Amino acid sequence: MKKAVIPIVISLLLLGSAVIWVIQEQPVRAAEVLPFIVLLILVVFGLYFGYRRIISHKRGEPAEDELSKGVMRKASSLSYYISIYLWLAVMYFSDKTDLETHTCIGMGILGMAVVFAGCWLYYNFRGIMDA
Amino acid sequence: MHNRIRELRAKQGLTQDDLARSTGVRRETIVFLEQGKYNPSLKLAYDVSKVFGMKIEEIFIFEEEPGKAAG
Repeated sequence: MKKAVIPIVISLLLLGSAVIWVIQEQPVRAAEVLPFIVLLILVVFGLYFGYRRIISHKRGEPAEDELSKGVMRKASSLSYYISIYLWLAVMYFSDKTDLETHTCIGMGILGMAVVFAGCWLYYNFRGIMDA
Repeated sequence: MHNRIRELRAKQGLTQDDLARSTGVRRETIVFLEQGKYNPSLKLAYDVSKVFGMKIEEIFIFEEEPGKAAG
């Protein structure tokens, strides 16, 4: 059950932090809406991930099995590979624009999370034939 | 590789849940196996064959890929 609760707790903490950030940033500029939307997408992903584990737990199934571990492993390796290029892009654009360093790092971390979520969804629905 | 899990499961009157519980995996894994979206580990293939009381090669059918020489 612990493995099912962790993603939900992390998602709710992320949501709480985002709400506090929005409240403190009033008035919110248009440029800050996009990261907030991305955060919400990640929260939905985390809740979905936790929900699936809770359903498995209720059915008496293991929280993880060889397929879910394989999906996680494949998603991690592909997202790591893509993230290298993401950071290269962030470095390139940080030189071209006047974004602050912490904003660039935040964009990179948020981007990595989105890339991982995308890779996980991709393998989760496509399957892993070559595992 | 394709498999006869769906056919054998229906023959023995097992649900996907039953098979998942007997083999110690999630139901989703059985769904993926039946759809041919996942090739199981040797251990899972062995567990599935034990549930059906058959040999692994009677359930999982390996097909030689064209252009790949045997041996």
